[in-house]
Order: sequence, then structure tokens, then C-alpha cells
Amino acid sequence: MREVVTIQVGGFANFIGSHFWNFQDELLGLASDHDMDPVFQNPGVNMDVLYRSGETQEGVLTYTPRLLSVNYQGSLGSMSSHGTLYNQTPELPSPVATWKGSISTQRSESLNRNLFLQSLYKEEQKESVGKDSKHADSPDNIGDQEIMESLENGTQFWTDFSKVHYHPHSLYEINGLWMDVEGFDNYGAGKDVFAESSRGEEMTERLRFFVEECDHVQGIQCVVDDSGGFSSVAADFLQNIADEYTNTPVLLYTARDPGSFMSSKSRKRNISRNLNDAVSFAKLSPFCKLIVPVGLPFLGGSKASTYLRVNDEKPYHCSAVYAAALHALSLPFRMDSLGPTATSDCTLGALDFNSIVQMLSGQSRQNMVAILDTTMPAPTIGEQLLSKLQTLTPEISDDMEDLHSVETLVIHGALKSDEQRASVFEVQDAISAAYEQASSRPRFCHLSAATCPLPIPLPFPSIFSQTVGRCGQLLSNPSSSSASKGSLDVHSIPMAARLRSSSAVLPFLTNRLENLRKFGIQHGAMGGELLKSWGFGKEELEEMGETLSNMVRTLAPYSDLTSDSD
Amino acid sequence: MSLRMLNPNAEVLNKSEALRMNINASKGLQDVLKSNLGPKGTIKMLVGGSGDIKLTKDGNTLLREMQIQNPTAIMIARTAVAQDDISGDGTTSTVIFIGELMKQADRYIDEGMHPRVMVDGFEIAKRATLQFLEKFKTPVVMGDEPDKEILKMVARTTIRTKLYESLADQLTEIVVNAVLCIRKPEEPIDLFMVEIMHMRHKFDVDTRLVEGLVLDHGSRHPDMKRRAENCYILTCNVSLEYEKSEINAGFFYSNAEQREAMVAAERRSVDERVRKIIELKNKVCAGTENNFVVINQKGIDPPSLDMLAREGIIALRRAKRRNMERLILACGGDAVNSVDDMTPDVLGWAGLVYEHVLGEEKYTFVENVRNPHSCTILIKGPNDHTIAQIKDAIRDGLRGVKNTIEDEAVILGAGAFEVAARQHLVNEVMKTVQGRAQLGVEAFADALLVIPKTLAENAGLDTQDVIISLKGEHDRGNVVGLNQHTGEPIDPQMEGIFDNYSVKRQILNSGPVIASQLLLVDEVIRAGRNMRKPT
Ligand SMILES: Nc1ncnc2c1ncn2[C@@H]1O[C@H](COP(=O)(O)OP(=O)(O)O)[C@@H](O)[C@H]1O
Ligand SMILES: [Mg+2]
Repeated sequence: MREVVTIQVGGFANFIGSHFWNFQDELLGLASDHDMDPVFQNPGVNMDVLYRSGETQEGVLTYTPRLLSVNYQGSLGSMSSHGTLYNQTPELPSPVATWKGSISTQRSESLNRNLFLQSLYKEEQKESVGKDSKHADSPDNIGDQEIMESLENGTQFWTDFSKVHYHPHSLYEINGLWMDVEGFDNYGAGKDVFAESSRGEEMTERLRFFVEECDHVQGIQCVVDDSGGFSSVAADFLQNIADEYTNTPVLLYTARDPGSFMSSKSRKRNISRNLNDAVSFAKLSPFCKLIVPVGLPFLGGSKASTYLRVNDEKPYHCSAVYAAALHALSLPFRMDSLGPTATSDCTLGALDFNSIVQMLSGQSRQNMVAILDTTMPAPTIGEQLLSKLQTLTPEISDDMEDLHSVETLVIHGALKSDEQRASVFEVQDAISAAYEQASSRPRFCHLSAATCPLPIPLPFPSIFSQTVGRCGQLLSNPSSSSASKGSLDVHSIPMAARLRSSSAVLPFLTNRLENLRKFGIQHGAMGGELLKSWGFGKEELEEMGETLSNMVRTLAPYSDLTSDSD
Repeated sequence: MSLRMLNPNAEVLNKSEALRMNINASKGLQDVLKSNLGPKGTIKMLVGGSGDIKLTKDGNTLLREMQIQNPTAIMIARTAVAQDDISGDGTTSTVIFIGELMKQADRYIDEGMHPRVMVDGFEIAKRATLQFLEKFKTPVVMGDEPDKEILKMVARTTIRTKLYESLADQLTEIVVNAVLCIRKPEEPIDLFMVEIMHMRHKFDVDTRLVEGLVLDHGSRHPDMKRRAENCYILTCNVSLEYEKSEINAGFFYSNAEQREAMVAAERRSVDERVRKIIELKNKVCAGTENNFVVINQKGIDPPSLDMLAREGIIALRRAKRRNMERLILACGGDAVNSVDDMTPDVLGWAGLVYEHVLGEEKYTFVENVRNPHSCTILIKGPNDHTIAQIKDAIRDGLRGVKNTIEDEAVILGAGAFEVAARQHLVNEVMKTVQGRAQLGVEAFADALLVIPKTLAENAGLDTQDVIISLKGEHDRGNVVGLNQHTGEPIDPQMEGIFDNYSVKRQILNSGPVIASQLLLVDEVIRAGRNMRKPT
């Protein structure tokens, strides 16, 4: 077993993370419940890779994510930053043991727990009292339907729908920013945030806590909301990590909420937005081994949402889709490695961090930017699963033929007919056949598969269309209702996700390079002053331009963009 | 105006409205922090939306916990926080001084005075006050053996503004000794060489100075000793873990044997490094009772731990980067980055190394070292609040002692400097100033009094009585501060109330600069807020 430590930085990244850990928590619950379908025992996928075992001072054993979440103060809603497990002895009446003078109290408006969190809390209390609460239907139980409605309409913070216990070191709040969400919407707003007031030191220390206890850390997976100031916080943090953990590979997902793409009427604002995107990407990429841009401007209307009803205005919705993809991608590096000849019935194609990185970016060309594709839910394996994969990475070209592309595909919980699960070998055969038939084939492809599907936890948003059945199968004659389905109707889904190293990512790269040149580097560029205020001098900008054009050159050696003719 | 286009909701305030907004914001922030000042100040308990409690008596911490939105208030807060970053103290004083400068200016501007003239007066007064500070300061001769008594008094003054007296007094000696421990002649004092470590402990409230180092992790092998005496310490930054990928599917190598060979080769090179360490251990320990401890900044994987444990070596992995430096200063020796540099003379020494476990938290104590230039202040407290309070106080104390040593001077506290400087400005400086700028000098002088006034107010005294009696006593030729218990004038020298020279100077420098900027404002754009949900 080789551990992975997860880092989430910024608003949307933590929304994704919240769903991601909900899936894990759900799996843990299902695995320990022997009345459940044995497929959820999920042997072969090792939770310890992502979770740590611990113990409170009172001797209570704990099992919590190896996670460091970074966000601004106030983003935890009604959740305490100490998490919920390692409660300290109550200190009332007076918590002040250090001062004999007067005390004044200032209370922020208290945030009430929503119905979902209330019901979680109640359940836990019952458990601690010892009653069997699992199916207890006492009258004070809050109805699931009600809970779901309150989440649909009232979710404001990522903690509103989180059912996970976090370690007290996991939730780091940045205080003293004195900025509202709007003010923090560009790279420059986050500069110095890491360095000032020992914040960087605190973050580094917390990360060290999680890494030190790992016997053999295989890598750090990092999700960063790169739509604003958090990119520069993350860039500073990642630089630090690269220094400290030189040989530990970092897999970086840069994530966007559709709201962050909204174009503005103001030209200045749009320039700032474009420069932010270029700078963030150029600054973050040097400190990771593989970077995967995630997040479409119109997720709800995209092909990726064919079977989904996603409301782009709700981060709660969009983040759920991305989290499902990230979960699938995490499976190969959590599978027990069996050696080259041994086989297992439940999993196939274990790959550790380094191998994923090597495969995608270390082959004939050194492209470190990968495209994320998914199908949610995955169709039955007989159907053309490959052609159903749709991208979640923005600014990708659809019709680019790339003879050198390399991809790694993960399928889990696949069905072979409406309600019958396919074995991993059936998946393997089907996929091999599909590649044989495909009109264009990647130069290299790796498949990982697991039988366990994606469980849909109660607080998962209602984003499935009527086509999706209880086990995630696609119904041939769905109800014509336009209502969407949620966790009460859909219990699990088969998923497929793919990372692809392909020149289809070129538009994404060239847009950033061009914007940086046009608005930042060229003589008299309109964003010159702005970049200066973000703390960038000419040299640094040229360095960033170089970073980006190297990435373009890797994929398109003869592109005229890479020559500095202007 | 093009700026207007930036945000259609923005409202442009004209000059006088902008000035009004600045004055109000400064006063507002002053109001929030005022009650914090001094040993009779109020501690604030902040209860967050989730019920999380933060406690603080410290202006700097309080500001950072506040969600400040007003741009003027943010400007002042930034100045105050910078004050703390630079000099380590004086945040509250900075905020209330800026607030008071604005208040005083307001009175005159209300009567038709131009802000420009006010600012000119501030500038004159500032320079005069800084000159006066040089005359007023009490020099402290440092030499080889600094005067511990004065250092203790400085530490006590500042710590008593954060903790109740008897608790504060337990810390003064510790703080002074910590700084003296890390001080090296002719070099700036690097307070990072004092580690501050805490343990949450149900019943214990205790702080002690460990001459040596406390690390917040332990060995990761069940067979390693938990306690060892007479230890050689190897401080290193060498990877002792297998790092190459384990490739399972056999895609990258034509056959399994080739892959196995790769893995084995990599493993061998890790083992080789471990064996070098064992060799060194055997060289220095053979035939003695001495022990050997490895403290590594990089990882150590289980097979390597096994090998080390079998040789009786204690090994810690992933030590803080800063501890590499501290260990060398505490135990001697050199930090090594490669096994090739390992010779007996890179080893440090500690008389005692032992582990302490609390729940999942482990601590390793490296003690009884010979000639420590790094040390640890270990705080035990029943909960995070208590620990945070004590930590804040210790930081203040450390900075106070460091400043005193580096300033080679202190300033009499309890408002003594402010009263004296005010009288100096009014009696001596004003008459040398032409025209209305005089009034600026006067405003500045009166603003200085906000410090003794606030100290009096926080002690529940009548501020006017106090100021009259302080001025009177001063004009009789005495240096006077405020007795917080009686309101009577006292001699701070006799009471041992000393502030830092560099802190005062920094307040006098930055306060008027910000106040002037706020007074000379042209127009302010106040952006309308669009209440988008936080994501
Ligand atoms: N025993 C005392 N009697 C009167 N004033 C004191 C005493 N101790 C400290 N002070 C004054 O308290 C002020 C510092 O208070 P403090 O709360 O630390 O604020 P700051 O954040 O500005 O440092 C200084 O002006 C100092 O002279
Ligand atoms: Mg102070």
C-alpha cells in the first residue's frame, strides 16, 4: 500500500472535494454493512491509501482523510474548523484561563445546521446512545425528501452537504484576507497571502503532519480552484512542496465552476480574466508532474451532461460531476498491486502515481497536460463506450487527429446488461474489441477496471435525468417527466473516466499563450499595468510565455506560435 | 470617467464625503480595538457562525480574525499588522493613534482648515517627536553579559498585557533565557531558533524551557527504543526510501525479469545508504554504551527502519526543515545531504533522547545538550485557547527582549513617553512653527495622549483627572506614567514598566503617514456589492 495525500485549495476545489469524500465515506459505510450487495465490499481497492487511522486523546480510534483543505475564513459554514471528532472538553462556564480582567464577547450570527446536518447529528447521537438507529423510524426523523429539497435550495457552503468526519489538522482557514469573494477573483489578489503572517508555514506544517506518518507516500493529489487568488496561494504552496518533497509526484487538477467563466461587459475585466487564466496555468504547471484542467463553461448544456440535469448556477451540482470523475481516476492508484502475473476478480490495471505520470507525459513526447473525459453514467459495455466519453476539460478541439495520443481509461461498476454487472475481464475484452474497431486509435492505451460502481450518497444532488435507472442503467423507455432524479431513485452508477494526452489540448494552451502575449507581453499591452500590480516584471512574464510555448511546442513542433516573431 | 465604467454599481464619493468616510472608518476601528490596550484591557471572545470560539487580547490577532470590508479600515489594519510583523508589538497602539490623529484633524478641518495644512503640521510634529524620542530613551548597555534584570522587566511589561500577573511572571525568566540562549555575539538574533511547541494536556498548565529540542513526531518502528542516554545525533537530509515507481502491468519493460531487476537495483541503493549510517554508528559506538539517533528531513521507509532498528538506532523521518538548523545549534555537528559526507565529526550530541506519547501525538525530546544555541519553549495547556493565549504572549515577550538587545535602549512606559512628548511639542515646538501648521502640531500632540487616556479609561479611571494630574506632575519636572490602580502619577522606572524603543519609533513613523494619506484623499470609489453566493 502506498499512501496518497490530498490537498484542496479554494472555493470550488473544496466543493469537489466534499463530494469526493462523501463517495469514500459512503463506500466505507457500504463495505461495513453486510446486508449490502457484496460488490461494495470493494476488495482490491484499499481505502488506507486515502485515509489515515488515528486516535484521540481519550483513546477513541478515528479514520479520517489524509487531507489538507485550504479556503478562506467563513467558508466552513456551520462546521467547526476542528472537525467533529477530536472534541475538546467543554470549557464552560469561563473558557478564559489566562486573563483576570474583563471579557467582552462578540458573536457572529450563528449559522444553523441545515436539515441534512441535523439528521446526521441526530443519527450520531442515537448511535452513541447505543440504540440501533439504522432503520429506526422515530417520528422526529427528518424525511429524506425534505433533506434533499433543503440541499437543492439552500446549499451555500461545501460543508452543507458533507457527511465526512475530518481531522482537526485538515481544515485550514485563511484569515486576515479582508477581501470578499469578488475582490479575490484574480491571481494578483492572492500574492503574498501564502508568505504573510506565517500562513505558508502553517500550511506546510499541516501537510507535514500527514506526510510524516506515511510509510511510503506515492504522491500528492491536488485540486485547485484556479479562477482567482487561490491560484497564487496554491502556486506558492506547490513550489514549497516541490522543494520539500522533491521526488514525490504531484497530480494537479485545476478546477473551475461555470460561474467563473461568465464573461463580463467590461473589457478590462475580461482582460483581467484572460490574464488570470494564462498566469495561473503558467505558474502552477511547473510544480506538478501532470496537470488536468477540469471545468466547462456550460456543463449543463454540454455533451457530458447527456444523462444529467445539471444547473450551472449551482456549484453543488457541477462539483458532483467532477468529483465522480476524480473518484474514478483515483481507483488505479488505490488498487492493490498484484505483480504482473497475478489477477483479481474485482480489480484490474493498478497503476501508481508515477506510472500514470510516466505513461501520459513521459513517453515519446513530454506533454504534461492531460484532458479529462468521462461518461456519467457509463453505458453497458456492449455499446460504444469509447465514443460516449465526453470531455470535462475546456477549450479542447474535437476533431484533432493525434497519432501520438496516449490514454488511460478507468471503468468501474460496468454493466453488461440492464441489471447485470460485468466482470473486469468482460470489461477488458469489450474495451479491447472496441479499440480494435475504432477508426482512430491512440498510440497507447491503458485500462483499469473495478467491479464496484459509484455509490450515490444521500446528499448527492438530484442531477440524473429520467433515463437513469436505480443501478445507473440507461432505461429504454424512461418516464417522460422532466423532473430530475436524485439519490433516492438512483443508488449507484457505473462510471468511466479517461485521462488523455493529446494535441486536442492545443487550443487550451494557445489561448493562454496568445492572451499572455497580447495583453501582457507585447509592447504597450493593455494588461501591462495590471500584471505589474500583480507583482510581475517583464522577465517573469517572458519566462511564463516560455513555459507556455514549450508546452505548445511539445504538441505542435511546427506551430508558428512558438516562434517569437513579434 | 473611465473608472466609473469599471463597476456600474460603484459610487464615486466627492472629496469631502470621502474624507468623512475615512474619518469615520478610523474612529470605528479605534473603537473596536481601544478596550484591548494595556494590562487592564479587555480580552475578546469571538464566537463564529459555527460556534467556534476564538479568544484574544492581542490587537494583531483580533484584526486578523475580523472580516473587515471598509477600504479605509483595511488600510489601517494593514499598517497595524505590518507594525507587528516589523517590530513585534504595538498593533493596538497604532490603530488607536491613527484613529486619534484623524479625530483631532477632524476638529480643525470642521472649522475650515485645509487638510493639506494639517498634514504639514503632522510632518513637523512627527519629526520633532522622533528627535525627542532619541533624547527620551533610556540607553541599555549590552556588552557581553546583557543586564538580565532590565530584559526581564521589558518582557514582564509586555507579557502582562496578555496574561494575568502571576501567569505572566512565570514566563519572563523563560523568555529571557530563551533569547540569551540563541544569541550570538555580533549577529542579529534569529527568534526562529527558539522553537515554540505545545501539548494539549487535560489538567496541566505549565510552560518550561527545554534546553535542546522538542520535535512533534517520534520514531515509526515498534522496536526502536523510546528512551536513550548519551546519544550521537546524526542530522541529515538523505532519502532513505525506495522512490521509483512500481510498474505493475509490465507495459514499460519487455519482461517481468527486467522489471524485477530494476526494482532490486533501486532497493539496493537505498539499503546501501542505510548501511553507511550503520557503519558510522558502529564506528563511534562500538564497545560503548552510547546510542545513535538519526533525524532525517527526508522519508525513511519500513525496510530501512527495520535495518536501523536491528542495530539499535533510533530514527525519525520528515523532520521540519527548520529543525535541521536548530538541531545543529542545539547538539552541534553538521547537517549532511549525502551519505558520502558522513564522518564522526558531523555528529552532534545529546545526553538524553526520549519519546512522549499523547493519543496519536508523539513528541521527541532531545535534551541535556552541551552548549545549546537553540532551545524550545514547551507549553502545556488544557485547550487550544489557553495555549494560543500563552503562545501570543511568549511571542510578544521574545520580540520585546530581542528588540531591547538590538535597540540598546528602552522607553519608559505607562504613557510616560506620550505625556512628555506632548508637553515638548506644545511648549517647545509649536512656537517655532509659522502659521496654521501650528495647529497641526497641536493636533498631533493631543493625539499622543490617546495612549495614557485609553490606559486610564480601561482601568476605569476618569481620563480628564488623570491627564490633568499627569501633565501637572510632568511640568514639575518629573517623568510620569500612569498608575493603573490608583490613577496617580508614578515613575515607570521605579515600577519597571518599559516599552521597546523600536516599537515606539515604528508607531510614530507609520501612524502619521497613513493619517496623512487618509486626509489628502481625492475621491473614493465605493463599489456596490453584488451578493453572489460564496463558493
Ligand atoms: N503596568 C502598566 N501600567 C500602565 N501601562 C502599562 C503597563 N504595562 C504596559 N503598559 C502600557 O500598555 C501599552 C501596551 O499595551 P498593549 O495591550 O500591549 O498594546 P499594543 O498592541 O499597542 O502593544 C503601552 O503603552 C504600555 O506602556
Ligand atoms: Mg503590546
